[in-house]
Amino acid sequence: MKNFEYARARSVDGAIQLSTPGSRYLAGGIDLLGEMKEYIVSPKRVIDLKLIPDLGRIDTSSSTWKLGANVTIAEIAKSEPIRATLPGLAEAASEVGSPQIRNVATLGGNLAQHSRCWYYRHRDLHCLKRGGATCYAREGENKYHSLFSGNPCVSPVVSNLAVILAALDAKVSLRRGDKEVQLTVPELYSDAWGNPLAHNSLQPGDLIVHVEIPTPKNRSTYLQVSEKSDFDWALVSCAAAGRKTGDRWFEVSVFLGAVAPIPYRVESPLIERGELSSAAIGSISQSLASQATPLAHNGYKVPIAQALIRRALTRIVS
Amino acid sequence: MSGWPKNPHQLGKDHLRYDGPIKVRGAAKYASDMQPAGWLYGMILRSPWPAARVRAIDLRPALGIPGIRAAVTANDPPFNVRYCGEELGAVAGLSKQACLDALSAIKVEADILPFVVKEEVALRDTSPRVFENQPNAGEPREMRTGDVDGAFRSADKAVEGFFQTPVQLHHCLETHGNTIQMRSDGITCWASTQGISSVSDGLADNLGISLDKVHVISEFMGGGFGSKYGAGIEGGLAARLSKEAGGLPVRLMLTRFDEALAVGNRPSSFQKVRLGAKKDGTLVAYELESFGTAGYASGGTTAGGGGGAGFPAPYIYTVPSTRVRQTSVAINAGSARAMRAPGHPQASFGMESILDEMALALSIDPVELRIKNDPSETRRRQYRIAAERFGWNAKYHSPGSSQGPLKTGVGCAGATWGGGGQGSEAEVKINPDGSVEVRCGTQDLGTGTKTLMTIVAAELFGLEPADVSVKIGDTTLPPSGGSGGSTTAASVAPAVFDACQTALGELASASGISDPRGSNWRAAAAHLRIKPIVARGRWKEGLSGRGVGGVQMAEVEVDTETGLVRVKRIVCVQDCGLVVNRLASVSQINGGIIMGIGFALYEERILDSQTGVVLNPNFETYKLPGAADVPEIDVILQDMPERGVIGIGEPVTIPTAAAIANAVSNAAGKRVTRLPITPSHVLGLLEQPPQIR
Repeated sequence: MKNFEYARARSVDGAIQLSTPGSRYLAGGIDLLGEMKEYIVSPKRVIDLKLIPDLGRIDTSSSTWKLGANVTIAEIAKSEPIRATLPGLAEAASEVGSPQIRNVATLGGNLAQHSRCWYYRHRDLHCLKRGGATCYAREGENKYHSLFSGNPCVSPVVSNLAVILAALDAKVSLRRGDKEVQLTVPELYSDAWGNPLAHNSLQPGDLIVHVEIPTPKNRSTYLQVSEKSDFDWALVSCAAAGRKTGDRWFEVSVFLGAVAPIPYRVESPLIERGELSSAAIGSISQSLASQATPLAHNGYKVPIAQALIRRALTRIVS
Repeated sequence: MSGWPKNPHQLGKDHLRYDGPIKVRGAAKYASDMQPAGWLYGMILRSPWPAARVRAIDLRPALGIPGIRAAVTANDPPFNVRYCGEELGAVAGLSKQACLDALSAIKVEADILPFVVKEEVALRDTSPRVFENQPNAGEPREMRTGDVDGAFRSADKAVEGFFQTPVQLHHCLETHGNTIQMRSDGITCWASTQGISSVSDGLADNLGISLDKVHVISEFMGGGFGSKYGAGIEGGLAARLSKEAGGLPVRLMLTRFDEALAVGNRPSSFQKVRLGAKKDGTLVAYELESFGTAGYASGGTTAGGGGGAGFPAPYIYTVPSTRVRQTSVAINAGSARAMRAPGHPQASFGMESILDEMALALSIDPVELRIKNDPSETRRRQYRIAAERFGWNAKYHSPGSSQGPLKTGVGCAGATWGGGGQGSEAEVKINPDGSVEVRCGTQDLGTGTKTLMTIVAAELFGLEPADVSVKIGDTTLPPSGGSGGSTTAASVAPAVFDACQTALGELASASGISDPRGSNWRAAAAHLRIKPIVARGRWKEGLSGRGVGGVQMAEVEVDTETGLVRVKRIVCVQDCGLVVNRLASVSQINGGIIMGIGFALYEERILDSQTGVVLNPNFETYKLPGAADVPEIDVILQDMPERGVIGIGEPVTIPTAAAIANAVSNAAGKRVTRLPITPSHVLGLLEQPPQIR
């Protein structure tokens, strides 16, 4: 990697003050260090966030839970309150990487991670996402790529947590200079839909501080299909969440991961109406096929996505 | 007739490997751990182009980087590069970062040339040529027996299929490389190798120095699988860097990225197969037309370990009339090397797949069809043993007939391998204090060779393994040859046996104790006073065997909605002659089967047609089985001590993928036509997955 300046922040304000053009924040380092070693990014300054107090807390004291950006993936996977109340979040966390990665990687880093597209990550290539002229994946080897995209780049979002947090209506709190900004999860990624250079909607210097999760949704789940049984990226992931009161369903949402540059919302009037009979679930899942625009090698993701929608909804219903 | 003891104390028992603890503690030093005084880090600059004419390389900017001590070019320009990753030059310096900076500072002028990386494209006359003056497709290798067309006409049934296997990478956990010190008085090389003597020969030849000036050491190494016989281009570059740096040692280990490009692979195969049989299952006609690639040098003498992308056909079966035509096609990619049972896993997948199709066409149980046609009496017996253990008769069902979206299936396949021993030599030293040293210029590529030597000596001397110390992996020791072809155990064990026999005779006469073994040992040795016994032994006939059979059965579960395959169980019955270390044998079989699972479900080198790069040069996207992917593996060692010691490293990896593919086909009700069997492939086979619920 290239030489860089190392700075250690002791507070959120301090981190913002240390931030200069060309600087990057370092939490677990799982994503950033990989990109630096491959010369994909070469920040002038790296601002270490790990010593900022309070960013590592899981606060469940009010009905909206607050998870600090430095909470590790392993802590989310193991947290008893999260497993009891937001099982989908714990499930999504437990599918991230390997135990070693989960012990180090953080919530903020997982949400802010960059594309894993093998053209983007290749040291000898300069693809569209890296400022080059071509998305090689669009005409090339695209079995891991998007079924939906609003721009020529077809690399999908791969954050497991983004998919479940979207389904749980979480809000991501950022510091943008002096301002505190709150984004929904779809807003956190919306720039990546239309802009091939964007991995998310974060602006240079933006710092994810914590994530707020409302807890009225008393049912949630996360499922993924990967080629390997462990330590592998999702080919497709699916999160479903909703509030069940008596026999009635409210605020049901279903999101897919690894099929679009954003967590992809599965839209259906049936979902909006909270109709989750097995016939309704079948029909929700069916409707996806007509919306997707598969590439040469990723059409198989459509049936997987359909199966996961069925299974996720069936799981929260049962 | 075997000369091995009839009632052994040590042979055939479970022995933990004696060097296990020091490996676990990190005390065992591999080539990649060597830090001789003054050592420099070495790195290679590789071509980012799949095809180019290199006009000039300017090393001066690299030499200007602080900490850089030497820089060399791989060749004198102008020269051609023919794949992404071909060596351009190398640097040595005080740190990895200095080397990385130096590599990016080297200026290379090159004319980029057209290239081709897909086998089926490379076959076309209009495609770019890898070598300007020869077609990409080599001369086909043709073999015929009998009257094939007539035999197909006489057949009651004919089935055909098209099967593909990908390029598989070795991906040894210790990367290729050496630590090399080249001084005027000679060269010392700490190598990660499966052949210290071939490293020695290669370096002497490459550098133009005599063999007496070359010393190669490989006490521990982290895997070879056929790809680590020589010092490699990286060894030659490291030696030149060391010389250039005034004789400072250079440690040049490849990166994981490099491993995907330049140090070998298993060739791909595309197999069009046709098989004809009589109603009773007797095979009468076989036809194969295949092509595949062993990389840029496809068809060359060293490519693939068997000369290109060919493989044995119709593999282990005897069919009276056959027509085989195999073509190796060059592409702009790294060259193949021998890889654990070269040719056999590809052969097994194609043949065992079409055999299962025939079983279906004739409504004959797949196991019975094999027993009917397999010429090996050993394997026919193994099928009965395996079927019993596996519960084949209860588990086999017609394809796709299990209920629900999760479908189970079973499959089987057989394999053969030669193995056998060759001319190893070994030396045994009995010290006056009774301690024993066994020395042999072999190397342990991870199979437990040191432990094997210990067991043999302890057996013959009536001692405990802890009483014996072993030294291997050094060219100053008695010569033993490379560790490949599953020959090491069968070569080394007899040599140690022979040396021990001689030493035992000498000890008897020196001590006057007619049987100095066991409890007499220390008293007998004490008679030696100050003169230890040193006895030489060599491999000889009668103590080792060759030619093994093995069969495997696989049970899988296929999720027909997501295409995901899980292997639930593998039963392996393996002919293994005299077992020296039962635990190590079973462990090696587990390893071979796990590697076969990788070939079946996960592994594939993926090249990009637009840029020529390897897209998955890491363990994130080149997928290897992990612990969670490993099923229950049930190994039955078919002891035949009368056959002597036989190697089993290779046969056990051969039939796994074929058995799994047959099991997936049985579960899904559709024939698997390519490896790896990913969700993408399975869903493709099922086209419209059943809509359950």
